[in-house]
Amino acid sequence: MVTKEEIMKIAILSKLFVADDEIDKLTEDMGEIILFADTINNAADEGSDFDNINNLSNVLREDEVVPSLEREKILQNAKDSDNGCFLVKNIMK
Amino acid sequence: MSESKIAKLHEGLVHKDFSCTELTKKYIEATERDNDTLNAYVTITADTALQTAAEVDKKIADGCEIGLLEGIPMTLKDNISTEGIRTTCCSKILEDYVPIYNATVWDILKNNNAVLLGKTNMDEFAMGSSCETSYFGGAKNPHNINHVAGGSSGGVASAVGGNIAVYGLGSDTGGSIRQPASFCGIVGLKPTYGAVSRYGLIAYASSLDQIGPITTNVEDAAIVFDAIAQYDEKDSTSQGRKGAPAYDSLKNDIKGMKIGIAREYLDGVRDDVRKAVEEAAEVYKSLGAEVVYFDLPSLKYALPVYYIIACAEASSNLGRYDGIRYGYKAENYTDVNDMIKKTRSTGFGDEVKRRILLGTYVLSSGYYDAYYKKAQNLRGTIISSFKKAFEVCDVILAPTVPMTAFENGHAVSDPVETYLTDICTVPVNICGLPGVSVPCGFGDNGLPIGVQIIGDSFSEAKILNAAWQYENAANKFKAADFGVKL
Repeated sequence: MVTKEEIMKIAILSKLFVADDEIDKLTEDMGEIILFADTINNAADEGSDFDNINNLSNVLREDEVVPSLEREKILQNAKDSDNGCFLVKNIMK
Repeated sequence: MSESKIAKLHEGLVHKDFSCTELTKKYIEATERDNDTLNAYVTITADTALQTAAEVDKKIADGCEIGLLEGIPMTLKDNISTEGIRTTCCSKILEDYVPIYNATVWDILKNNNAVLLGKTNMDEFAMGSSCETSYFGGAKNPHNINHVAGGSSGGVASAVGGNIAVYGLGSDTGGSIRQPASFCGIVGLKPTYGAVSRYGLIAYASSLDQIGPITTNVEDAAIVFDAIAQYDEKDSTSQGRKGAPAYDSLKNDIKGMKIGIAREYLDGVRDDVRKAVEEAAEVYKSLGAEVVYFDLPSLKYALPVYYIIACAEASSNLGRYDGIRYGYKAENYTDVNDMIKKTRSTGFGDEVKRRILLGTYVLSSGYYDAYYKKAQNLRGTIISSFKKAFEVCDVILAPTVPMTAFENGHAVSDPVETYLTDICTVPVNICGLPGVSVPCGFGDNGLPIGVQIIGDSFSEAKILNAAWQYENAANKFKAADFGVKL
């Protein structure tokens, strides 16, 4: 059974906050969902290593410079930008 | 006799029975009137629709030929990028996001002068089966507004079923085109993985997602599919349509066609749905097709395999929402990490957060082998069993959903119970196969039932041929009492 501690660890990895009043309900919901996911481990069939699910092959092209989107357009959906760059708080002290 | 709505309107435009502007105004008026009830649209683009209509009218006045899709009023699910028109995925995190480029499918249709009426409602990030995880509230079923339109492409199905769009494009990751089409009594086609470009479709689970048409009849589905199924260099998984257009063989005789029914598909299906599917098999027999029964034991793993893979891919795809480059951004925070966490925690709804958490869990150290790797291996087993099935039959007949549309509010109360309703649709996505849902009657509660026809990879022409023959012989479509009456 999944524990509160495991859910808190997964939340950190997912970059999500879990409020104190949400944790019990979330642990219960996730417990049920993981129990459901766990049914694959009852399968006698181990399956075989399978990595090319959609039968794809690599599509390669010459590495040529082609026009791309304009900088101003790219920045137009950002909440904060400055001097042609996305703006975030200092990440180093 | 089954009739194409697109072809009928096209004839009307060409013969000048009405102008494109008149037609478009009719649809806009109906949309503005009925959307309060159906909640199908989250953005209405009346101005751009009328602009396109005027261009089409000019072409007709100048004596130019117009294509089948030119001037036909339609809609797009709100996860298909439209340059200059907000595209929200029905999430708070993208509430004010305006794409700076078009999805390839919209580029194709726009070049065909398709008249875009607006963007339609969906479950947040396409995660849900009732459209009720939408930040804007769920779309309603045009056959009974106390019931949901289905999901995740609920808005497109509600609009097309409610006659406030002639057709629409949805996306299908685990049934999101076919299930709402079934709930709303219309046609939904999930093409083969790679047949239609995914460029500009906001990603949920990239190995499963596919764009396809939602229409009132099979002929329209073939017309739209043939138009959008093109190779696209901007999508590394694109292959385009293979073989002749689906439209060409739509009305072919199906005498001798082998229709397969996997017994497992009928397990646990509600009695009225089971009966409707068995009646559909009888219709096929009367058309000279042969019905063969077979076993597909791997089907029982399909649902957990689907949820593990879809959520794993979602947890990675949704990592991009950090508040920095686009979308909602939290206001009060201490540092970058705090900002990202607060943005995501406030911007995503509960179901999206649950799926990100499950996806992160199955990919995390210590659980990867037991869940993600095991699920991928079982995906291989399921694919092999479908390939074997197509050695004994041409197409597979199955229910689309084990029941009819849920009552409003029912699906959100129990996540796992709702996941179980996707049992008949997810195998097609797991295997990358094409599947089409066609109306096959009404349940005990008066709501529509859909039957699904599944084919081998790139056999859209064959499944649409089988679907058209059934539709034409059984004639189960009934227009809902909303929207434009033609």
